[in-house]
Formats: sequence, structure tokens, C-alpha cells
Amino acid sequence: MRRTLIATAALAITLLAPNARAQDTLNQPHWQSQGAFGSYDKAALQRGFLVYQTVCASCHAAGELHYRDLAGLGFDTAQVAAIAANVKLADGPATPDDIFKNPYPDPAAAAAAFGGAIPPDLSTIVSARPHGTRYVYDLLTGYAAAPSDMTLMPSHYYNIAFPGMQIAMPPALKDNQVTYADGTKATAAQEASDVAAFLTWAADPNLDARKEIGLRATLFLIFLTILAIATKRKIWRESV
Amino acid sequence: MATPNVQTKPWLESRLPLSTFWRNHVSGYPAERDQPYLATLPGLILGALIFLAVSGAVLSLFYVAAEGSAFHSIQFIARSVNFGWLIQSFHSTGTTMLFAAVYLLLFRGILGSQYKGSGDLVWFLELTLFILLLLVGWLGFVLADGATGYWSLHNAAMAGARLGGLPGAIAEWIFGGPAGPGTLARMVVFHVVLALLLLVVASTLIIARRTTAPPVQRKPVALHPYYTAQYFTAFVIFALIFAILVFFAPHLGENHLNLAAANPLMVPAVLTPPWYLLPLAAIGSIVPTTLGGVIAVIAGLAVLYALPWLDRSRPGASTGLLYRFLVFILGLDVIALAIASAAPPSFITGILIKLFIVWYFLHFLVLTPLTSSTPVGATPVGATPAGGTESK
Repeated sequence: MRRTLIATAALAITLLAPNARAQDTLNQPHWQSQGAFGSYDKAALQRGFLVYQTVCASCHAAGELHYRDLAGLGFDTAQVAAIAANVKLADGPATPDDIFKNPYPDPAAAAAAFGGAIPPDLSTIVSARPHGTRYVYDLLTGYAAAPSDMTLMPSHYYNIAFPGMQIAMPPALKDNQVTYADGTKATAAQEASDVAAFLTWAADPNLDARKEIGLRATLFLIFLTILAIATKRKIWRESV
Repeated sequence: MATPNVQTKPWLESRLPLSTFWRNHVSGYPAERDQPYLATLPGLILGALIFLAVSGAVLSLFYVAAEGSAFHSIQFIARSVNFGWLIQSFHSTGTTMLFAAVYLLLFRGILGSQYKGSGDLVWFLELTLFILLLLVGWLGFVLADGATGYWSLHNAAMAGARLGGLPGAIAEWIFGGPAGPGTLARMVVFHVVLALLLLVVASTLIIARRTTAPPVQRKPVALHPYYTAQYFTAFVIFALIFAILVFFAPHLGENHLNLAAANPLMVPAVLTPPWYLLPLAAIGSIVPTTLGGVIAVIAGLAVLYALPWLDRSRPGASTGLLYRFLVFILGLDVIALAIASAAPPSFITGILIKLFIVWYFLHFLVLTPLTSSTPVGATPVGATPAGGTESK
């Protein structure tokens, strides 16, 4: 009886929560990298990588990323080497200089697995979609029961965030799918948020350096602009 | 060491008179007073072109001009080359700054009727710069080999292959037939050669502006330090805007989809080019046939070339208030055209795009001859040649 109740409640949350979140305009999900001065939250990136490696990487490739790039998430050399060594490629364990493993030998095999839909490469998915970070989050949490007047295509799922409202990717995230090392509660929404943060890093790994240099350059140039205007006004005033 | 007492000039000066050049053309060059900041635009454009040539040369060290590898090589530059992301962003955002400066230059030219009288040569050079820049910009967009650039190149090459006669022969000479593995290498050659030509045109433009400038009316000032100070200020402001865009909005005005690798099996629903190509791309795609599109683009540029004849006011006559108002409307019209053609296609945007294009041609072919022939304050009905206050 009690188990049935919990199962029903869990089902209700899975089905209703995405809709509730989509309409929740007061508590929008937020990522630390957003805004002009935002930088990556390395803890969130590492959690997101765990979700990526456990869930996403079993179907999606990320052909522009090397395992060595994971140093950008705050992993040290030994940790990166251990992560790579855990990945089994065709010719033995991966090294840090290997590209992220492509789960399918060729696009045809990937298409065959999903009824013709090829899981896209995730290297630049965040920059290739408008408001990409939010899009990834919305997509991962956007599964719901299809409205009664809608007929889905075979092996497609209703998703409020996907253009056309039906997607060939099955719902990927559920609560406690991973166990976070830092003790963060692994709700499906938390996992979606973390993996969105990770994919934002994957698409733009230089964001921190870019904004840091940008702030210095902008401040310097503002100072130089004031100096240049003052000099020019003085010269123009004196050359009568 | 060049003191007046020494009879013979120093070794270098006697062979290459640099200090005489400096005196004649910079430190002692008589210039008109109180030129506005925006008169520095041609200099900034030349500077931006040199900057793009240098950053492009650095990118070419790692760029692989082959279908399927080009996108990957740019990702490699951005991720694995030291400060490659910065150089790549310099090149793409520098293009945005350059186009903004050129659009502003053309707008000022139309607003101030600078194409009249002896200013026509400068106007033609400015338009030639603009057209070459559109070509180089499109080639650069295609070289990125993203999901939209890939299909833009394929559509252009296929359209070229369908053309017959002389246009077809020209298209074949450029693309070498339908786009394939080797096409990007050809596009690199055109990108570089036309960019070098741009440097020549921009330099010629600056010289032509100087030689055709009206004689100095009031007591002149020396170019240095009077205008070098102004140039420096304009340059720093230009650099400030550039830095803000590079570091905080590196993909401004680009189609998001061009940041995904091209998929030869999937055509994106919306194939919008970068912002600087949008108005002309919209004009080109209003006619369904290939040749019609080419003719529409040529017509859209030809009305700009025809401005010295379409504007019927006399050289030296000040532009009327109504004319200036219409030029501002034209500027808004072109911006609105770009926004409408970048928006997802719908019934409304389809109508708006046609409306904005009609207004564009109406402005040049009807409104400009009408308003420019009318003295300020008179009714804009009369189509008789100007009997303005300044006519002799």
C-alpha cells in the first residue's frame, strides 16, 4: 500500500513536475556561468561530467573533446588519467589524448539504434542552440504525457522543449541515477542542471579566461578612452 | 642628426626622403578644421582590414580547407591552440566591426549626399569596397564549415552549376562545379585574394578622399598633432567596442546553427547568413529563380552606384530636411529587413520582407529623384530640376 503510494507519487512528479517547472517563472534555474561576470562552478561541472559519462555518453559522441580537456573541470592529471583508463576503446583503454569515445562505430549504426534518428554530437550543442544551457535543461526535464489529441510517431516521446514536441530520445534522467561524490541530492532536475552546466563548458571551455581578460581589457580601454579624449580636446583647444 | 648646417642630407634621407614625406603629408599637411569623429571611418576600416589580415594569417596555420575537416580544425584552434580561441574571436568579431564601420560609412555618404560633384569617385570606391567585403565575408562564413555555411556553399555552387552561358562559365571558374571535397580550398584562395584587393581599394579610397577634398577655406591646421589625436581617440573607442564584443558577445549576429558541425544528410530549416549579409541575401532570395536572384542582388547594388544620377540636386547644394528624414527611414528599413529575414519564416515575415525590399527600391528610384529636386520648404510634388537657393 505504502509502496504503491510512493510509486504513484513518484510517477505523478515525473509526469507533472516538468510542466510545473516550465510554468514556474519565479524560480528559474540559474547557472553560475551566466551573465557578463559569471564563471564556471567547477563542482557543478564535475557532477555534470559524472551524469554525462554515466548516461549521455552511452548514446552521444563529443568528437571535439579530449579526455585531457577535463583538467578544465578541476581534475588533476592522475584523475584525468584514471577517467580515461576507465573507458574501453576498441584497442584497449583510452589515454588522456584520446577523443571522447564515440558509442557507435558509424552514423548508420547509431541511426539503426534509434529508428533513423542519429544522436547529435554534444561538443557544441549549447552554442548551436539559442539559449543553449537552458535548452538542454528544458529538454531533459521536458518529458510529459502526450496530450490526448496528439498521435506520436513510432518510438517517439512527447517533450515540451523540443521543436515539434516529439523526440526520438527516450527520457534519460531519473532521480538517483548517479551518486554524487559531494553528497548533492541527485534529483532528475539537479542532474539535468549539472549536465547542462557541463555541456556549456564543453561548448565554450575558455569562458573563464575570456571574461577575465575581457574585464581587464575593457577597464584599460575605458581609461585609455578618457585619456585620449582629454588629450584630443587639449590639442584642439590650443591650436587656434 | 639632420641639422640645417650639414650640407649633404643623411645617407638614408638622400635616398628615401622619409622626413620630407612626414613633413609634407603629416606634420605640415594643411587640413580643414573641426572634422567630425566619423570622418575617421576610412582609416578605421583600413586598420580593421590589416588586423583581419594578420589574425587570418595566424588562423591559416591551423585551418584545414577540406569539407568535413574545416569545422574540426576551427574547433581545434579554439580548444587546443594557445590563445587560439582569442585569435579566432578576433577574426570573427573583427569582421562584425568592419562591416559596422562600412555600413556606417555608406549611410553617412547617402545622408550627406557625398556622392555629388567630385565626390562621386570616392562614392564608387566605397561601394566597391562594400561589394568586395560582402564577397569576402560570405567566403569566410562558408569557410567556417558550420551547418549553415556548408549548405550556403552547396546551394551557391549548385545554383552556379545550373546557370548556363557566361554566368555559368563564371560560376564554374569560381566553384569548379558542384561543391565537393576540394571546393573549400578554392574558397580559401578567393577569400585571401579578394581580401588583399580590399586592402588596395581601402588605401585608394583614403588617397582619393584626400585628393578630391575641397580646398581648405579657413586657416588650416597641421594633420599632426591635430588629427592624429582625433584618430587615436576614434581608434581607442573602436577598440573598446571591439573588446566588449570579443570578450562578452563573441558570436553576436551569427546563426547559432553555424556553431554545429555540418551534416551532409540534413538541411537546416532556416539558413540565415551572418547579420552583415542579411539585407542583400533577403533581396536575392525574393526572386525564386537563380538568375532572378542574381539580377535582384545586382539591382540592389546598382541603385547605390546610380545615386549620383538619381539625386538631381546640384553639387554643393545642402540636402533637404525631407531627404535626410527619408535617408533615416531607409536606414531603419534596411535594419528591419535584416531582422525580418533572420526571424523564423512565417506568413507575416514573408510580407514584411517584400514590403521592406519594395521600400528600399522605392527610396532610390522614386523618392530620391523627387525630394532631391525640391528646395527646402516647397511641396515635394514638382519633378522639375532644382531651382534651389544655391543655383547660379
